[in-house]
Amino acid sequence: MSKRTDDGIVDADDQASGADTHWPQVAQRHYEPDEQGGLTTTIVSAIAEAEGVSPSEVKSPPLYDSVDVPAIEEAFFGPGASGGSRQGVGTVEFRYTDYLVKVRSDGWTQVYEPTEPDLR
Amino acid sequence: MGMDGEPDSSEEVTSDVSESFETQLPPSDILEIEPVYEALGHPRRRYLCYTLFEGAEWSLSDLATKVAAWENDVPEHAVSEDQHEDVYVSLYHAHVPKLVDEGVITFDEATETITAGEHAEQVLIALEGMGASPDSNQETHARGEMDE
Repeated sequence: MSKRTDDGIVDADDQASGADTHWPQVAQRHYEPDEQGGLTTTIVSAIAEAEGVSPSEVKSPPLYDSVDVPAIEEAFFGPGASGGSRQGVGTVEFRYTDYLVKVRSDGWTQVYEPTEPDLR
Repeated sequence: MGMDGEPDSSEEVTSDVSESFETQLPPSDILEIEPVYEALGHPRRRYLCYTLFEGAEWSLSDLATKVAAWENDVPEHAVSEDQHEDVYVSLYHAHVPKLVDEGVITFDEATETITAGEHAEQVLIALEGMGASPDSNQETHARGEMDE
């Protein structure tokens, strides 16, 4: 279960996928639909932080090989049927190179990096 | 040979719009209508396609500058680094691969050069057909430059 801090950030240790692999969170970014910059930039910026590079240096493969980000942007943050913003709650998870990326309908994108517990 | 009589019909559909591109674009292949809508279904992909009216080959960075200028309604030299990066990143990670999938453009990863693909002509004809109802200032802006 996720534990929330007061500002809505989900703790990193609510992860469990894969029996032996630990997935500590290594980066997160928040997407603001009304501000400059699309969801692709938000996700790529989070991955760039995890890799320690600038967003325009995140290359090969494109995210498109994993997911169609503008389609997720439309699904979570596009105008609703009544013209207001959507109320749906959900998360899209995908793998990008070695990372696990979660994109949540509350705007948070989180990047997790696998670590082998036996190798420390 | 499995499509008797079909391939030639595309030439009859060709309007004078396309004639000016015949010299710079590769020969067109048959394209279903669905990929045309898919290609044009996002503003940034439309803007990218508009630039093919001006030239059949672009560097990804120049393209990002142009699209960012249209979106923000500023001259190209006034595009900020953040604005450029936002467009560049979304073109690289989403819109360019999709247009490559649809055969509208080709993309050279090493040089980051975009070139009009075999389905570019049909998409440009469709854009021309939509000219009667541009749905935003940016669209008008983009179309304006294409007429220059």
